[in-house]
Amino acid sequence: MLKSRSFATIIRKKSQLLHQIRTWFWEQGYLEVQTPLLVFSPAMEETLESISCDGRYLHTSPEFAMKHLLAQGLCKIYQIVPCFRGEEEGRHHSKEFSMLEWYRAGIGTQDLMNESIDVIYSCAKALGVDIADFDCIPTAELLDPNLPEEEWMFRWVDEIEPNLPPSVIVYDYPKWGAALARIRGEKADRFEIYINGLEIGNAFHEELNPSVIRTRWEKGNANRIQKGKSPHPMDEDFLQDISQMPRCSGIAIGLDRLLMALLDITDIKDTHVPNRRES
Amino acid sequence: MKYQTSQFKNGLKVEMDNTPYNMVYFQFVKPGKGTAFTRTKLKNMLTGAVIERTFRTGETIQAADVETVEMEFLYLEGEDYHFMNMDTYDQISIPKSTIEEESKFLIEGSKVEILYYKSRPVNIDLPNFVEAEITICDPGIKGNTANGGSKPATISSGATVQVPLFIEQGEWIKVDTRTKEYVSRVKK
Repeated sequence: MLKSRSFATIIRKKSQLLHQIRTWFWEQGYLEVQTPLLVFSPAMEETLESISCDGRYLHTSPEFAMKHLLAQGLCKIYQIVPCFRGEEEGRHHSKEFSMLEWYRAGIGTQDLMNESIDVIYSCAKALGVDIADFDCIPTAELLDPNLPEEEWMFRWVDEIEPNLPPSVIVYDYPKWGAALARIRGEKADRFEIYINGLEIGNAFHEELNPSVIRTRWEKGNANRIQKGKSPHPMDEDFLQDISQMPRCSGIAIGLDRLLMALLDITDIKDTHVPNRRES
Repeated sequence: MKYQTSQFKNGLKVEMDNTPYNMVYFQFVKPGKGTAFTRTKLKNMLTGAVIERTFRTGETIQAADVETVEMEFLYLEGEDYHFMNMDTYDQISIPKSTIEEESKFLIEGSKVEILYYKSRPVNIDLPNFVEAEITICDPGIKGNTANGGSKPATISSGATVQVPLFIEQGEWIKVDTRTKEYVSRVKK
């Protein structure tokens, strides 16, 4: 793909994308924030692997620190930041990638879906590309929510993901997939955005009860230990922050992948300035 | 021998259900909500059909016992195609039913890659181009140039390809075996 397009063009498009995102959030009254990249607790989620660095960890996302800001009373915040994840390497995965993450107090997943679509459309327009109208589908319409977790995940990757509509938001996940989202009824109140089968973003209506998160964290750590992996250190400050957060929703969008989706790039490496020793 | 998902790469020869497959595509997939998988496309080395298969991380797949050996096609006898390894002078034969499609482009003296699976020859890989004599074709029409239409012509090995109208029976042509298309006229 990239062979036919000069690298400078990609850089230029990426710059336009960043400019459009910052313009959009500025106009909507969001604050751009910066939080530490070196953290003491890299993640809660069992399946995330981190990269350690000088006694700390490179963050896997700015989630904990941004939630601290929410607990401090900031209501509309966003961040564009590199994130780091161990053991993730492939056409759609990189150990280092750019994240656009934002949180807004007082809204649920429905409002956040609308904001997300608006951001993506504005980016597409800025880059002069068209994307299909978004479908919104509850996951239960695609896959039986009562399947065991392992089988559900396998069939999601094997059957569902490759056959999703071109632009789609899937929402309401099985309860075991709640991560940091609240559970409403029997469903995890979260959604994901896919463009052309590529997972672009991941959103939560945030859980505000620290003991619920503590229980999930402990369960995840127990599973990690069973698999011979080191547990993710429990972040007590973060648990305290949760109890002080307003009702809010947040989303993380992989910017490299958004660029891939908008420009029909098939390998995430083609959106990065190469580490020359690798290439 | 078995391969782990972390060893997957294009060109890996693997075995499932007693069939050898060539891995023509693989992709690491890790949904934001869970564990990692590897999506693959596997090409059946006997039929050429491509299937899709998803593997869980840590899952293994059997390595296929395959090797390829270059040999020269000697002659057709009855329903058997005879080949010779030009290094060892070993001769083998493969029945026509095994290489039905490929055999239509087998010209005596051409070098092919013989695929062995569990020590048995099971398929052949043709050279990308072969030169063959046209054995059956309608007469050429005077005044036609290379820009004209086309007509079917049968080559000595049995395949039928579309050729320009000016080509005559008894002429030699070069054919692309991958697309099964006429490339050019060959002076013999």
